[in-house]
Amino acid sequence: MIELKNVERSYKTGHTETWVLRRVNLTIRPWEFITIMGPSGAGKSSLLNVLAMLDDQWKGEFDFDGEAVHRMNRKQRADLARRRIGMVFQSYHLLDDLTVAENIDLPLSYKDIPRAERQSLVADTLDRFQIVGKKDLYPHQLSGGQQQLVGIARAMIHTPALLLADEPTGNLQSKQAKEIMEMFRQLNEEGTTIVQVTHSEANAAYGTRIIELRDGWIYSDTAGEVNNTAAEVGQ
Amino acid sequence: MNGLIQDVKFALRQLRKAPGFTITAILTLALGIGANAAIFTLVHAVLLKNLPVVDPKMLVRVGDNDECCINGGAAYKNDYTLFSYDLYTHLRDQIPEFEQLAAMQAGIGYGSLTTRRSNDSSLPKSLRSEMVSGNYFQVFGLTPYAGRLLTPADDVAGAPPGVVMSYQTWQRDYGLDPTVVGSTFLLNTNPVTVVGITPPGFYGDRMTDTPPDFYIPMAMEPQLGPAHPTTILHRSDRSWIYLIGRIKPGTELPSLQAKMGGVLRGFLAQLPTFQRKGMEQNLAQSHVVLVPAGAGIENMQQNTGKGLRLLFIVSALVLLIACANIANLVLVRGMARRAETSIRMALGAQRRRLIRQMLTESVLLSCLGGLAGLVVAYGGTRVLLNMAFPDATDLPIQATPSTVVLAFAFGLSLLTGLIFGIAPAWVTSHSEPAEALRGSNRTTQDRSGWLQRSLVILQAALSLVLLVGAGLMAKSLSNLEGQNFGVKTENRFVAHFSPENAAYKQNQLQSLYDRITQDLHALPGVERVSLSMYTPLEGNNWSEGVQFQGRAEPKVGDEMGASWLRASPEFFDIVGHHVLRGRGITEQDTATSTPIAVVNEAFVKKFFSNGKDPIGAHFGVSGMQSVGDFEIVGVVSDVKYNNVREHTRAMYFRPLLQMAHTKPEDDTRSMYASAIMLQTKGSIDDLESQVRRTLANIDPNLTVSRYDTFQGQIRGQFNQERLIARLTLMFGALALVLASVGLYGVTAYSVARRTPEIGVRMALGANRGSVIAMVLREALMQAGIGLAIGVPVTWICTRFVQSQLYGVAGHDLVVLGGAVLILAGAAFAAGLIPAQRAASTDPVQALRME
Ligand SMILES: Nc1ncnc2c1ncn2[C@@H]1O[C@H](COP(=O)(O)OP(=O)(O)OP(=O)(O)O)[C@@H](O)[C@H]1O
Ligand SMILES: [Mg+2]
Repeated sequence: MIELKNVERSYKTGHTETWVLRRVNLTIRPWEFITIMGPSGAGKSSLLNVLAMLDDQWKGEFDFDGEAVHRMNRKQRADLARRRIGMVFQSYHLLDDLTVAENIDLPLSYKDIPRAERQSLVADTLDRFQIVGKKDLYPHQLSGGQQQLVGIARAMIHTPALLLADEPTGNLQSKQAKEIMEMFRQLNEEGTTIVQVTHSEANAAYGTRIIELRDGWIYSDTAGEVNNTAAEVGQ
Repeated sequence: MNGLIQDVKFALRQLRKAPGFTITAILTLALGIGANAAIFTLVHAVLLKNLPVVDPKMLVRVGDNDECCINGGAAYKNDYTLFSYDLYTHLRDQIPEFEQLAAMQAGIGYGSLTTRRSNDSSLPKSLRSEMVSGNYFQVFGLTPYAGRLLTPADDVAGAPPGVVMSYQTWQRDYGLDPTVVGSTFLLNTNPVTVVGITPPGFYGDRMTDTPPDFYIPMAMEPQLGPAHPTTILHRSDRSWIYLIGRIKPGTELPSLQAKMGGVLRGFLAQLPTFQRKGMEQNLAQSHVVLVPAGAGIENMQQNTGKGLRLLFIVSALVLLIACANIANLVLVRGMARRAETSIRMALGAQRRRLIRQMLTESVLLSCLGGLAGLVVAYGGTRVLLNMAFPDATDLPIQATPSTVVLAFAFGLSLLTGLIFGIAPAWVTSHSEPAEALRGSNRTTQDRSGWLQRSLVILQAALSLVLLVGAGLMAKSLSNLEGQNFGVKTENRFVAHFSPENAAYKQNQLQSLYDRITQDLHALPGVERVSLSMYTPLEGNNWSEGVQFQGRAEPKVGDEMGASWLRASPEFFDIVGHHVLRGRGITEQDTATSTPIAVVNEAFVKKFFSNGKDPIGAHFGVSGMQSVGDFEIVGVVSDVKYNNVREHTRAMYFRPLLQMAHTKPEDDTRSMYASAIMLQTKGSIDDLESQVRRTLANIDPNLTVSRYDTFQGQIRGQFNQERLIARLTLMFGALALVLASVGLYGVTAYSVARRTPEIGVRMALGANRGSVIAMVLREALMQAGIGLAIGVPVTWICTRFVQSQLYGVAGHDLVVLGGAVLILAGAAFAAGLIPAQRAASTDPVQALRME
């Protein structure tokens, strides 16, 4: 589904260039539930931003379902991301002025979807995540776990193929974190590919594969051999 | 004290750290304060200033109108402002309530004096004079700068001729030469002695851009008066002087006014004019109005007052907009620094200390803005004066804003800074630090948001009012200037001169006029030359009541007035009158041929509405015995001569030197031409000095008092309208800029505050277009509400300027629509910049801002 070849990312600060991603090669197949781990500053968020197509400053090759992302311009990337990718954030990033239902509707509002269809999609999603009762509340009236649930619902409303989550439970207590992880597992079983960043071994256990980043390098990958095989097949 | 210095230092550092904010705030204040101080200086100087005389409060003017210059018959609306000399002495002697009652010439003529110092060999100059009664300077309580001032003893027939020179003239033309005092001058060839110099500040009895150079006793009227070479000093049917008196303490003005009315009617009743049938009512209604004269004769004040007051209101609105801007800027800044303040408070800073710090900053800012405002005020006043009085030589107005004005403006800016500095300081220091520290994910409700938006809405509404005002004024001016005056102006020039000042006798005029015409024609490039009493659109007008042969005597109250002038043959062609019927004035119309008149279309329309043929009709101007005096031989096209806002008046034109059979003695003054018009082939270098030289060659005493292109003379008619149109336009533009800056500031601030939100939206699929649309929508919404409020307000306000407009309906949809469009455009531009900045938000960065 995703193929990264020699992806590099650096920040220029003054005269020095700091590398945050170094020659990253990564293949992600459909149905995978990948956990990215590593010490703070290792480049986990940076990698996720590349995958989310929010970042354009990287070098290398990036194929998404056979489409060459590295040859796309900003608009094409944004279109692709809008169709295929959902994002969940550590600090939820719900908009304070919008109700739960309106927050969930947000990604749809940026697509050409008829109003009626949008409404039914929102209703379905509220139903699916069991937050119908909260639909008219504002984010600040919810607990952290509930807010993150809304965040996931929002990411999933347009049924993306890939769900990216940067420390989705970073602000939550372990009990709430567990619920979120259960939700992820369920989504994964229903067919969504998931890439999450976490510091928690417990969370990582929900996934099918763990990638560890250190100083921008892929330090270890529990599916290393698969990757190599793929490379061999490719040759 | 130490703390204060520390605060100021810190505040300066803060201001330096935010140069965009600081510069915007200072510029806004400078423009707002500067513009207002400049306008107020003008208003103060023109409308509120007293004459520099002793105890101006005790001065009273008899009469309240702006009338000029020599009037015959009953006063307009029977309200007496102009008086004959005999009526003056009658009032002076009958009314003991005045300590002194002085008389002064109503019309101070341009170049009414051809002046030469007797021992000076240079060419005579054209200067201005004012005839005054002998007690003139005593009424004002003035003391001379040098020599002595006039006394009643100077103002009796046969007294040695003595005049007073103004300090400004003495300084400008004679370099403060002390020997001027006591020396002999030739005024219109009459030798007189300059007995003294006025005090330096004194500019006469009225505000004017052309104050008199000489003060001349009324007794010299036969030689130097406005009717020279005839005299009107003792003609009770000629009103030509104004009255100002100093009342005795404790005098009640209303009863004095009533008493003077009675004395006035007693005098008028003896005059033949008022003994005619039908004049009883005029006599019964004759009265005077007494007005305070501390500021002198307030003609200029009356003429410019409306415009100045309008400008004052306009500039006050601009100041309001500027204050709203400052308020917004300071609010935005205070809010933006909430986090900083919260941290400080969390670290134990005292609330009082924090507020003091913030106040120091806004007061400092106000002071800086006030200082910059001073600069703008000084420059602005100068520019304004030049715009208001472009031809002024000795305008008695200082181009420096008074301390009162400056203090007022400065105080206002300080107040703005204080109020809007306190508000955010107060709000911030009373907020829970934890709340502000919690970060933008849970952005606390922005309490100042609605205030900021209301300010922007207010600005938009006010700007609309100002823009519409400016549009109306501009359109009115262009209507005024663009109207068809009926003239031709290309390659036409006007020079003014006066043969009477050069002491020409009536029987010398024919040869003088022939000589002038001949010599000017001889100048290379000169095609046509004419002489006339006056020219179109120079502000002069002579009129008479006419009576027609074969018609009944007009009744009192019949509209029989017609303007008239004498002109030489080429005049019609130069001015642009087309001969429509019959003929114009020709060389054959000499002093001895049959007296003829050529009339304009308006004359035909007014007096020949019955369809009778005007050609061959006869009329006169001195009663029914004169109806055969002039024969109409031609009709010419209409040209506007006098009031540009009114229809062309009925006019008749006569040859220069033909005399009426009836009362010929009343028909001689008008034989003295005062205007020369020239038409050239293409432009001629230095035509003015050639004309001056040509006249001086004929007679050195023939001085040119005014010289202008015909076009320039006409433009001069619209000086005040132009000033007001330009200034309202300037202020409109200023308001637009300020309002745009305000909208920009609020939008930019809101974008900055919403960066994380915008990042989230973009991460969730919002593209550039939708972000731009979102920000623009908000900006345009505010402008839209402003317009929605502004349109009805404008609708109401335009009623107040209606009277100043020409050919424009107050509710001009084109102007209103244009203003709305301009404002919407400005709002769009002001919103687009932050919108684009918002659209180029890097979502990765925005999301990191947590
Ligand atoms: N905008 C930026 N400018 C400069 N350096 C940056 C920027 N963003 C990230 N970095 C650097 O890139 C490196 C990787 O950052 P990244 O956010 O990817 O780390 P991370 O693995 O997500 O860490 P954490 O676990 O703390 O979230 C860090 O050293 C960081 O300082
Ligand atoms: Mg991270």
